[in-house]
Amino acid sequence: MRVEDPRLVTGAGRFAADWNLPGQLHAHFVRSDRAHAEIVSLETGAARKHPGVRAIFTGADAVRAGYTKPMHTLAFPGKGGMQTRAPERPALAHGKVRFVGEALAMVVADTAAAAQDAAELIEVQYRELAPVIAPEQALASGAPQLHESVPGNLSLEAEAGDAAAVEAAFARAAHVTRLKVEVTRVAPNPMEPRACLVAHEPQDDSYTFHVCMQGVTTLRRQMSVYTGVAEDRMRFVAHDVGGGFGQRTPAYPEYCALMLAAKDTGRPVKWVSTRSEGIACDTHGRANIIDGALALDRDGRFLGMRLDWVNDMGSYLSPASQGHVRNTSTCMTGVYRIPALYASYRVALTNTNPVSAYRGAGRPDVAYAIERLVSRAAAELGIDTAELRRRNFIPPEAFPYKTPTGSTYEYADLPGVLEKALKLADWRGYPKRRARSEKTGKLRGIGIATVIENTGAGQAAKDEVELELDARGHVTVHTVSKSQGHGHETTLAMIVADALGIPRERVAVRQCGEDRQHRLQGNHTGGSRSTVGAGSVCHIAARKLIEHCRGLAALELGVEPSQVDYAKGAFRSRESKRAVKLGELAGTGPVSVVGEGKFGSTFPNGCHIAEVEIDPGTGAAQIASYCAVDDIGTVINHAIVEGQLHGGVVMGAGQIFGEHVVYDLESGQLMTGSFMDYCMPRAGMVRAIRGAEHPTPSKVSPLGVKGVGESGCTGSLPALANAVADALRPLGVAHLDMPLTPAKIWHAVRDARKGGN
Amino acid sequence: MAKVTIKVNGKNQTRNVEDRTLLADFLRDELGLTGTHVGCDTSQCGCCTVHVNGRAVKSCSMLAVQANGAQVLTIEGLAKNGKLHPVQRAFSECHGLQCGFCTPGMIMATVGLLKDKPNPSEDDIIHGLEGNLCRCTGYINIVKAVKMGAKLMRGKGKRR
Amino acid sequence: MYALNYVKARSLEEAARMLASHPEAKVLAGGMTLVPTLKQRLARPSHLVDILQLAELRGIAAKGGRLSIGAASRHDDVATSVVVKKAIPALAELAGLIGDPQVRNMGTIGGSLANNDPAADYPAAVLGLGATVFTNRREIAADEFFQGLFATALEEGEIITRVVFAVPKRAAYAKFHHPASGYAMAGVFIALTRDGVRVAVTGAGPGVFRWKAAESALSKSLEPSALEGAALDASELNQDIHASRDYRANLVRVMAKRALAKLSGKK
Repeated sequence: MRVEDPRLVTGAGRFAADWNLPGQLHAHFVRSDRAHAEIVSLETGAARKHPGVRAIFTGADAVRAGYTKPMHTLAFPGKGGMQTRAPERPALAHGKVRFVGEALAMVVADTAAAAQDAAELIEVQYRELAPVIAPEQALASGAPQLHESVPGNLSLEAEAGDAAAVEAAFARAAHVTRLKVEVTRVAPNPMEPRACLVAHEPQDDSYTFHVCMQGVTTLRRQMSVYTGVAEDRMRFVAHDVGGGFGQRTPAYPEYCALMLAAKDTGRPVKWVSTRSEGIACDTHGRANIIDGALALDRDGRFLGMRLDWVNDMGSYLSPASQGHVRNTSTCMTGVYRIPALYASYRVALTNTNPVSAYRGAGRPDVAYAIERLVSRAAAELGIDTAELRRRNFIPPEAFPYKTPTGSTYEYADLPGVLEKALKLADWRGYPKRRARSEKTGKLRGIGIATVIENTGAGQAAKDEVELELDARGHVTVHTVSKSQGHGHETTLAMIVADALGIPRERVAVRQCGEDRQHRLQGNHTGGSRSTVGAGSVCHIAARKLIEHCRGLAALELGVEPSQVDYAKGAFRSRESKRAVKLGELAGTGPVSVVGEGKFGSTFPNGCHIAEVEIDPGTGAAQIASYCAVDDIGTVINHAIVEGQLHGGVVMGAGQIFGEHVVYDLESGQLMTGSFMDYCMPRAGMVRAIRGAEHPTPSKVSPLGVKGVGESGCTGSLPALANAVADALRPLGVAHLDMPLTPAKIWHAVRDARKGGN
Repeated sequence: MAKVTIKVNGKNQTRNVEDRTLLADFLRDELGLTGTHVGCDTSQCGCCTVHVNGRAVKSCSMLAVQANGAQVLTIEGLAKNGKLHPVQRAFSECHGLQCGFCTPGMIMATVGLLKDKPNPSEDDIIHGLEGNLCRCTGYINIVKAVKMGAKLMRGKGKRR
Repeated sequence: MYALNYVKARSLEEAARMLASHPEAKVLAGGMTLVPTLKQRLARPSHLVDILQLAELRGIAAKGGRLSIGAASRHDDVATSVVVKKAIPALAELAGLIGDPQVRNMGTIGGSLANNDPAADYPAAVLGLGATVFTNRREIAADEFFQGLFATALEEGEIITRVVFAVPKRAAYAKFHHPASGYAMAGVFIALTRDGVRVAVTGAGPGVFRWKAAESALSKSLEPSALEGAALDASELNQDIHASRDYRANLVRVMAKRALAKLSGKK
């Protein structure tokens, strides 16, 4: 049982929309129903007169306040030293709208219903402009232009690796496998809709936000950059956060608009998003097109790989847009020794909702591209897919391994992981299972993915954790990381309790506490980094607390610190055998220490093997079995880690089999704007995951842990797609882009059979 | 405006609300029972599931006035005398929740399911949870929790 | 949701009176389609006239080869009714496939029919079984009742009171769920009635329809192969981001075969 559970199973959790402040007003946003248009006029007169309305804000107010330049993180030089062209984005659209759902006005009223009623009275006149939705079209000449400051809709062109080396490798290759894939645009959809309640304090011109967030430091910095309000003038309150997956990281324009309203009206202003608003306006994930080629020699050894990316970022750069370029070049070699690598990136802007980090932030995308290429190469060459992988693994003795794109992998036992997975999945027994499926008229396929990913090192200078010991001998852990379901209160407490040798019940975890959030440095929870970062520092801080208290205990016991032993919450003098308990040292006031550390990336890796069974009559694919062997280093809490893997695998399955944000290519209208059309995974999608751990402790962390939050979907995207490809290959279907809906599979089977006849 | 009296978790509650007030908003805004969550606007996610006169329903798809005179059970009323309901216990013990946002609805839907099917098969459970979405767990541990909850309710679980 | 007035009718007559005096009023039964529609501000009724509790609309009874289901019967009532299970098990099964448990606990057969969503399940059973829809004014044969996309023979202010089914010799329903909404992407109801074979299709077209070609094919042979040659004009089916016309046409054929297999006792 997690520490978090008792309140969450009884309805006593406190999520963003559960907060209310006396005198609060309610905001409703007017959103664009056009994908690309000039705002000719905005008539707010009737709305202002509507009963209960207190104020209305438009793009002009956002511009006047200077809330126009959100932070972006594509802050590295591109090809030929190119600088990122980052468009402005007024917190409320001004002059022009660039995607369906973009907020252009905000009504503030006594009730949410009154605000919405009044919002309908606002009349917007548009002059429509042609939209461009597909990123490759946006980059073509003659495409409609979104921003004057971004010619050709090209925000950044970047590259990684060595183009000449790759060219040479391809020139001497015995075989080249080519595959262009799309990793589709999806909506992260954490179950808690976004909500934010902002209060302004005129005394010191400061703001308090009750908001769903992934941690205070990143959000605060981004909000400060966006609004120019100093970081020490902002406080953030979040207790329970209903999922994040990257989407709760950024500073959203709505929050800035609410600041305007709170200051102007002198009242707290609350906004609760609907799901439909969320699907349209909360940042999307993935949205990458990758044109790949893999060169192999006569023996099936990899010589070189080239990936040409088009990264669709939507209409504006989100503050977390770098992952699709950075993470995908960091782990571009995958788990393989590939002597020559080259990647090119073209970051495109389109008339769609901005794209940002989503569980993996590029890592699942690149794993998908590589693993599809490798499985396809194996099929083309008639080599067993597991054998081709085995032949090309980075061997255990080659670690630490410096990759051709400049990153260094710490360690991985790839053959060990693979063999364990093959055994778990009964790889050898597969032909029998396939035959059995065929007898019932089903197509069966098996898919394998061997993957590795860098976890987030974080942008903060260091991670800090404060431990506060009280007179009861209880310890409070203060951290600026923030669980959105990860179970920090349990895992971090276990780490501290373990280091101190005290029961977990005596350790409480406070995340982003108001009294600590400006004092402590650290990273938000994202990029699978919190146990590696905050968790490791919990351990370091606990050691520090022991040493600090040893001195206090020595004074108490009248001996030298070196004569004092610590165990299970008590210090004992070796001479007198007298003891003093931890709590007694805090008798005159709490004892506090701050631990710190800076940690690089860890490299969790694993092998996932999936089997699918397809009903050719309907095209429906069932996941018949799923096995996952993961090296995520030392495990603190097995149930939590297993839960992260389950969630990640099924999230990947959701994307492979159904999830897809679809815009109409002509009009730019959102076609999947609610759960009626956006296909969320449901119970039964993955019935069971047979899993096994294969830990090789990381040396990056004193705990030996590696990140785990994102590895599930990094493995499942390629494993499941490879399984479907394997099932369809005998029919002559070489590749299908996700989502592999029943309709898409059925069409492919029908067309293949037609062709065959 | 309508005067609405609903017996919520055993206690009569009377409020004057707009006719258009949803039962979910009545519970959350008027009574402060924020354990009932709203996760979508198309009646898909089931986060808002409560029991009205003993049946699991989606409180976001029902007006408060429709429940006038009814008995409503919310997640806050499930534990008795500080003792968790077996299904609440099972969700926790099976790690059937992560962020906890869908959990109240999942639990209320499960309690409803187990009324009709005290010993559900895995297919019964999957069919019975069609009206509830979870984004964190991948559902595997939720299905496990429903099985365990059923067992505990049938009195075959380990006692603690 | 726009502001509106809620009225709980005490009798069918009062409900009819309310509807007559307020032209912008709407009938509220379970509300499983209506309330979400109102929440999205896609409708703006002045009044909602709640008829869910009316005794006149309640009750499920089988007598003399006929099964009568009150309009305010919830899907779950029908799905779990021993009377329905005995008389027309396929109807109980269909009711158990509608929406999800929470929806089945609120939604009613009358509401579903009056709404006539092109992807709803009940219309397939009502049309497939050639049932009769009784209202506060008259009785309407299923063949006349359904008139395409969200359109029915119901007049302004007319309220469905019950649906009466002639118990068929055998019947079966097969449904392919829409992966997101849970509605029918294609649902086929086949009934062997005293007047012959009836095949009704929901989800695939702009409204529920009888697949006459399949009916005549099956009247000759109940073998699945009989359906192979039955003509189905894909050009009249729905096409959207989820499924092409061709795919829907295929699903209709596949679901019809599955219904047929159930009918013949083969799973």
